Amino acid sequence: MTTYARPGSVDEALELLLEDGAAVLAGGTDLAGQIDRGISAPGLLVDLQDTGLGGIAPDGKGLRVGAATTLADVAEHTLLAPYAAVTTAARLAASQLLRNQGTVGGNLCQHTRCWYYRGEEWNCWLGGGDTCFAQIGDHRKHNLEEGDCISAHPSDLAPALAVCGATVVVRALHGEREIPLLDLFRRPTADNRSLVTLERGELVVAVRLPAPPDASLYLRTGERQAFSFPLVSVAAARHGTALTVAAAGVANIPRAIDPADPLAGLPGHPQSAWKRQVLETLVERALVTLRT
Amino acid sequence: MEVILEVNGERHSVVPSGRRLLAVLRDDLELLGTKLACGEGACGACAVLVDGRPVNACLLLAEAAVGHQIVTIEGLSVGRAHAVQEAFVAEDALQCGYCTPGQVVSATALLERTPAPTREQIHEAMAGNLCRCGAYPKIERAILRAAGSA
Amino acid sequence: MSRFVRTRTEMEGRYEDVWALVDESDDTESWAPDAALSLVGRPVPRQDGAARAAGRARFTVDVRLAGTLHAVVLRSPVAHGRVRSLDLDGARAVPGVRAVIGPDSELSLTTRSPLLRGEPGYAGAPVAVVAADTLEAAHAGVLALALDLEVLPHLVDVEEGLREQRFTADPTDEARGDAEVALAAAEVTVELSLETPGQLQTALEPHAAVASWEGERLTIWVSTQGMFAARDELARAFGLRKSDVRVLTEFVGGGFGAKQGAGFEALAAAELSRIAGRPVRLVNDRHGEQLDGGRRAASRQTVRLGASRDGTITAIDADAVIGMGQGGWMPPVLIPARTLYRCADVRALTFPVKTNLRAQNAFRAPGVMEGTTAFEQAIDELALALDMDPLELRRRNHTDIDQVSGSPYSSNQLLACYDRAAELAGWAARGELREPQPDGLLRGMGCASQIWWGGGGPPSHATVRLDSEGHATVMTGIQDIGTGTLTSAQIVAAEELGLPLAHVRALGGDTAPNVYGPIAGGSQTTPSVMPAVRSAAAKVRKTLLQLAGDVFEIAVGDLEVSDGRIRSRDGAIDVEVTEVTAKLGDATIDGSGSRGPNPGGFVVHTFGCQIAQVSVDAALGEVRVERVVAVHDVGRIVNPLTASSQVEGGVLQGVAFALTEELVVDPTTGIPVNAYLDDYKIPTIADTPEIVIDFPGIADENLPTTGTKGLGEPPIIPTAAAIANAFAHATGRRAVALPLTRDRVLEALA
Ligand SMILES: Cc1cc2nc3c(=O)[nH]c(=O)nc-3n(C[C@@H](O)[C@@H](O)[C@H](O)COP(=O)(O)OP(=O)(O)OC[C@H]3O[C@@H](n4cnc5c(N)ncnc54)[C@H](O)[C@@H]3O)c2cc1C
Ligand code: SF4
Ligand code: FES
Ligand code: FES
Repeated sequence: MTTYARPGSVDEALELLLEDGAAVLAGGTDLAGQIDRGISAPGLLVDLQDTGLGGIAPDGKGLRVGAATTLADVAEHTLLAPYAAVTTAARLAASQLLRNQGTVGGNLCQHTRCWYYRGEEWNCWLGGGDTCFAQIGDHRKHNLEEGDCISAHPSDLAPALAVCGATVVVRALHGEREIPLLDLFRRPTADNRSLVTLERGELVVAVRLPAPPDASLYLRTGERQAFSFPLVSVAAARHGTALTVAAAGVANIPRAIDPADPLAGLPGHPQSAWKRQVLETLVERALVTLRT
Repeated sequence: MEVILEVNGERHSVVPSGRRLLAVLRDDLELLGTKLACGEGACGACAVLVDGRPVNACLLLAEAAVGHQIVTIEGLSVGRAHAVQEAFVAEDALQCGYCTPGQVVSATALLERTPAPTREQIHEAMAGNLCRCGAYPKIERAILRAAGSA
Repeated sequence: MSRFVRTRTEMEGRYEDVWALVDESDDTESWAPDAALSLVGRPVPRQDGAARAAGRARFTVDVRLAGTLHAVVLRSPVAHGRVRSLDLDGARAVPGVRAVIGPDSELSLTTRSPLLRGEPGYAGAPVAVVAADTLEAAHAGVLALALDLEVLPHLVDVEEGLREQRFTADPTDEARGDAEVALAAAEVTVELSLETPGQLQTALEPHAAVASWEGERLTIWVSTQGMFAARDELARAFGLRKSDVRVLTEFVGGGFGAKQGAGFEALAAAELSRIAGRPVRLVNDRHGEQLDGGRRAASRQTVRLGASRDGTITAIDADAVIGMGQGGWMPPVLIPARTLYRCADVRALTFPVKTNLRAQNAFRAPGVMEGTTAFEQAIDELALALDMDPLELRRRNHTDIDQVSGSPYSSNQLLACYDRAAELAGWAARGELREPQPDGLLRGMGCASQIWWGGGGPPSHATVRLDSEGHATVMTGIQDIGTGTLTSAQIVAAEELGLPLAHVRALGGDTAPNVYGPIAGGSQTTPSVMPAVRSAAAKVRKTLLQLAGDVFEIAVGDLEVSDGRIRSRDGAIDVEVTEVTAKLGDATIDGSGSRGPNPGGFVVHTFGCQIAQVSVDAALGEVRVERVVAVHDVGRIVNPLTASSQVEGGVLQGVAFALTEELVVDPTTGIPVNAYLDDYKIPTIADTPEIVIDFPGIADENLPTTGTKGLGEPPIIPTAAAIANAFAHATGRRAVALPLTRDRVLEALA
């Protein structure tokens, strides 16, 4: 039986998160699916809605986006307009219904959509088993990297935030740390199958954005014209003459891309190699737009 | 544990026991207009307004909805919502009608925020409401019609 | 006077000779093709639209009865297995659990045995069902069953099944003339192979039933397209009189072919309800629905065509390998090859391969749609080889004679459909699309033809009752699954009665009145039911005028009724209908009508042409359908508003078949990986092309009294073929398999 708690402050939430089987509940749009498909079975849900983690505020030359800010707010907020990659990514993610509910923190910490991982009939390597069914089965939507797990990271926001230079503020009862956005992610290993670098009892409290880039954009390909996870997406930003690029859908985690050699380290698998051309094309188009 | 849910302007005492808002609305409050079709956020048949914003009631924990204003299709019958419903009927923006309550909820919310939406804005706001019968061309027309009449 | 007639009925291309009861007094004359009708042919919003829009429509899943138990199905988690152990008593011991059935349970239902299988042949096959006070308790009961399965070898690859000759039935060889010789002699030949995907119906309301017994009488709500078939099936299964089974199905949240008869859900709910002595509600969850609700079978087809240089098709040789799953009736995949164009030398080979998936079942134009998708692409390849306009090639091979039976079609406006579609699509200028486009995309336009049955026939009945307030109720056997057929019945009755629409209401969705109507499938409802409605209404009108003649002491022949008023020809009398009906008191004027047989010597078919325009982003492998023009000959149109909705719905399902929908089965385990709504991609509003619709709308004079043919299936049939042809026009390439997902498009363009 799962219990529900709605702490009134971040500290109270952090306290609760130390309990066995506790899980963060933000919008719950991903967590609900994890629970229904038997991927997670938290004993305690710690709802963030009253912890004051929502909202977008000026922060030096940049912005601070609370972890519990909804994707809809990110898409629409005028303060975020100079970060076009971020607002576009938020606007194109999921559906309006999900964007109204889903949050920034949840978007970054969501689990992969690999159909074996999500399917009730399999217990795959990433889920704690010993077989990656995708590699011996159907992996047309999977990633381009070598590894024990070849799942693709689905977050639209992560690459967009990354190219805008975002950092993630992570808090535990004993204190706070701030890390570059991509450092929130890790590739799963045999002894730790998690995709994020959060320790037990840690919470993402905010994403901080430095001064906006000179220009940024987000290009996305899905399975249909709307309401589809990204198959491959590319975020790119220009600071002066420096270009930064990141992508979703090509690795276990959001991945930085070398604009000069976008396919480096991304050989692909038999059925997923088609994504290479899409990635290359998106990067090329992004760079053409940013340079002009 | 008993909690109070505010649905369509009325306060109801319910025992969520870990269920989603959709189950409580349908099974406890017998508000049967809101539908279950996928149970995983993929179709929008379960759309309700929470503080004026449409969300998927199949994903939202009932306990997480405590303290918020919930409006279901049953609570949408006046003003803009009524215009939307009339336009849906006039344009035949419904076939089997199973997705329709969710469509009406999303369309009403769209017009509240964007009284004169473009085609693109309609697509962005409505893509989370699937219609297997394929009433989309007429849903788009109905929204434009309701926008014109409101 | 009633009499029996021997007549042929047709359902999705299967013909059957049956006795049908017709009423000799059903002598209503057909509406002339140019008859001046006041309501028929005008757009009318659905009579139940407001209820649907306000969320007041009650579907089977919404039925709430006191004391209802909730049933949950335990499904096989493997593609093929044998139950080693299943703890039924353990489940029964769970608090709140009231009834449990498994493969070996003694059941009172006698047909469909076994209802549950100890050796499930596909992932999702029902193994046991638990009914409990709450859904949660039922789930706990399912867990307590502690299913242990021995995993057996499975086969899901159709090629492998073909190699091993694993068939659900004998392969068929349907031939006329000698295709082989004709091919060898042909001046031009082309060959095309294509794989088409398994497509899931995915009605948003899943299969569902709520059963309740009162002694030996069963009342059951079923989400079905065929309530009478469900009634008969349940009566047979439980040894009941048909009149002791009442099936209710007022609102159905989509069916698309998947909901025929009672189905597993109704049988299981009725059985559990009988055991527990309480109402039982069984509703599939989405995963169960996508695994076990049904599917259009995947196919691999090859078409070889021969022609002379002038474009006359001289040989057609087609074969289809069909992934049947566990069985089911053989979808008529090669009907387009056999019937669409004039050709004397034809061969059609069909191989129904048995695989470890659920038995395939009907999905909107089953067989014919996927067959058209391959055959009409081959026709375009032939046009290319002949350097001929694809529409011109089709015109040149047009026929007004059914190529299988040799009988003429009752009506055929296909040539007019070509002309109109070409005009609406701007076909003449389609070459310009291939010039460099300002947005850098490739563009192309393609067409495809459609053939389907859709003539309907007996038995079909209706009764009309006019009350003292001048309002009429039309009782029908219709289950309006979203097609708007009840509204069509309302319109036809109002037209015939001369009453305003608002004073006429059509009822259906209940077997209790025992007014029979056909299953909502095969494009049968409109052509079968509307003549019966018209005939019933005509009798009521006749009686009404007779009574008016008595009241006003005037010859009946001098009276007419329209728009709710009774008038004499000389203008002396002009009164509200209620002037007469008010005198009825509590009596009513009743009339019943039946559908007469289709005239012999003809074959009834619907026809059409669609033209699609697509854009292709070659570097991203992205295909967008920009516009679909759909022109279909379905006889007279009763309600253009709902008719265009039907076309839009069919086109969209065809667009998705071409671009996104595909059941993906894991080769290693034989289990579908995308049997959910998040991964199985049906279209959204943003995937909707502009859809331009027209109908010749010319009544079929050889069909009884209303001249209407069916429209459910036709619009889905040519869409995917037209899109694939447009893709080929744009890119010069064809994909070897559908749907045209990015990976396949990039491969085709590589
Ligand atoms: C049908 C469907 C389609 C979708 N499409 C897209 C899409 O196109 N693009 C996309 O990017 N996403 C998509 N999503 C994923 C969607 O769930 C996320 O976009 C959403 O932002 C998640 O936010 P949430 O607040 O609901 O997360 P939750 O479900 O509340 O949480 C997700 C996970 O993150 C953890 N978590 C949440 N917040 C924090 C925090 N502050 N600190 C630490 N851990 C935390 C939770 O414990 C949980 O494990 C889709 C989801 C569905 C169901
Ligand atoms: S790709 Fe990863 S998540 Fe998918 S089956 Fe393999 S291990 Fe599991
Ligand atoms: S039922 Fe909630 S989104 Fe489908
Ligand atoms: S009207 Fe049937 S699903 Fe939309």
